[in-house]
Amino acid sequence: MAHNELILTDVTKRFGGLTAVDALSFKVDPGQIYGIIGPNGAGKTTVFNCITGIYKSEEGSVRWRGQEIRGLTPYQIVDLGIVRTFQTISLFGQMSVAENIMSGRHIKSKQRLWHGIFHTPGSKRDELENWQRVEEQLDFFDLGDFAATPTDSLSYGLQRRVEIARAMAVEPTLLILDEPAAGLNDKETLGLLETIFKIRDKGVTVLLIEHDMDMVMEVTDYLTVINFGKKIAEGSPAEIQKNPAVIEAYLGSEEDDEDE
Amino acid sequence: MKSIQRFGYPIFFVIMALLPHLLDPRWQAVAITFLIFSVVALSQDIVLGKSGMFNMGQALFFGIGAYTTAILNTQFGWPLLATIPLAILIPALFGVLLAGPIVHLRGDYLLVTTIGFNIVFVQVVQNNLGGITGGPNGIFGLDSMSLFGLQLSSQVDVYYFAFAVLLITLWIMHNLEGSKPGRALHYLREDQLAAESIGINTRIYKIFAFALSAGIAGLAGTVFATQYSAVSPEAFNFMQSVLFFSIVIVGGSSVPGVLIGVFVMFVLPEIFREFATWRFFIFGFAMIAAMILRPRGIIPASFGKIPKFLIKENRHGA
Ligand SMILES: Nc1ncnc2c1ncn2[C@@H]1O[C@H](COP(=O)(O)OP(=O)(O)O)[C@@H](O)[C@H]1O
Ligand SMILES: [Mg+2]
Repeated sequence: MAHNELILTDVTKRFGGLTAVDALSFKVDPGQIYGIIGPNGAGKTTVFNCITGIYKSEEGSVRWRGQEIRGLTPYQIVDLGIVRTFQTISLFGQMSVAENIMSGRHIKSKQRLWHGIFHTPGSKRDELENWQRVEEQLDFFDLGDFAATPTDSLSYGLQRRVEIARAMAVEPTLLILDEPAAGLNDKETLGLLETIFKIRDKGVTVLLIEHDMDMVMEVTDYLTVINFGKKIAEGSPAEIQKNPAVIEAYLGSEEDDEDE
Repeated sequence: MKSIQRFGYPIFFVIMALLPHLLDPRWQAVAITFLIFSVVALSQDIVLGKSGMFNMGQALFFGIGAYTTAILNTQFGWPLLATIPLAILIPALFGVLLAGPIVHLRGDYLLVTTIGFNIVFVQVVQNNLGGITGGPNGIFGLDSMSLFGLQLSSQVDVYYFAFAVLLITLWIMHNLEGSKPGRALHYLREDQLAAESIGINTRIYKIFAFALSAGIAGLAGTVFATQYSAVSPEAFNFMQSVLFFSIVIVGGSSVPGVLIGVFVMFVLPEIFREFATWRFFIFGFAMIAAMILRPRGIIPASFGKIPKFLIKENRHGA
């Protein structure tokens, strides 16, 4: 039987003396919208970096569909169907929206290196087919009007949308979003929620970090809360809202700030 | 940009096709060198402009191509045109071997390393490696071109050879633009981490850029050896690499930009030759002015060249 889950077991990542992620374990089931929350600096982004191959955790294991992926490079992990976005948007800024989304077609395109030198009927067909996939993403994300616009000149909300569209162009099994609502206004956030549900309805598992508690409660099926790199709670949004440790972490950290 | 493509290119090609018949021999020679340098500068654009890798050693690959042709012709009696495949493949192979260990380096380190390669190359050929590179004087007395028994020894013949090589290069540049590998270079230049995180093995594409660039520069080397019936080390020294580097930076990462770059950096100084060393002042100031006024080059890379069916006409409103 196929194991389609993402399973982290005792993942630990240190930066010098700082343990940014401390023996963290959790499991994401297929089809879930899974949330990771926690105060600033809790280690959320670092966990994502350990999953997507940007960092290699010192200890623990990251298993995806039964395969150990700890230590693989980012592009190898994309090949296995895991694609991410970044907390600080990282688009190819001078390039157009369509070209940005086309980058998501890279691993699906069958062109070889020599097709950069001369084209063949097969490579031309491949090129056209991938641009057609880009058109589907432009439609899905309602970005058609901006196809030829450089992403640098777009609003924050649109840039976020392009970044998700680019990731979806890879046709991932697991989509990882690092604070997708950061910097968005209320209307844009609502649009984002709708988009995330639509993505899940396509059969894609979504793992996201969110700072905004209200949004997290609305969108996720299941949550893990971390603080100082450690898991302090997990459960459904309703359970998490009532969890004293979570309330403590969120309120407690504010009190600490005031003390200092 | 559209109007350049529609009118600029045909006019340019017609002028270039007629040019040798309008020029005296000295200017014919300048025109041939313009074509050769354009090919090398376009090859440099693949690495520097498109991929954003600071390569300051392009004359190395140009030189390996030229020396390959010269050695095969003088030592082994190969006809000049028959040396072309190896004059492309050997530099391309060196491109792979030299780029492999260094492409992960940050811009400034990469730059210094490529300067080092260039200096080593010039030292090696000057010291008459294996007795076949001819030492400081280089190799001379190459045959002239022949094709199907036809002797093509006039300067006009060499001009058309160089022109054909430029056209092939432009064709390759065009193919590269509309391909997955070509886009991968742009992506990794813009943001390497984002490129890796969307599935691009940036290392492979960086090495590919070097190999392709080196192969094209090597082909230009064959034309250069043909033009002078000779090769010598100083034609491929570090200062030549600085010239090719500057051409791409001043001209911008686009075909018209690079061609204008070659004109400004090579042809203009020839035109002002009578001003002796003063021309270098003009040249230096022109470079500085270009960089201040147009930091991304005279005609920078343009993006948004996407299939027409993606550009929606049915905009709402006026
Ligand atoms: N590359 C790095 N080098 C050193 N320390 C880092 C690095 N990345 C993150 N950290 C530290 O690890 C901790 C967790 O950071 P991060 O994962 O970005 O938190 P979050 O995303 O939850 O806000 C912070 O204390 C941060 O300073
Ligand atoms: Mg973060």
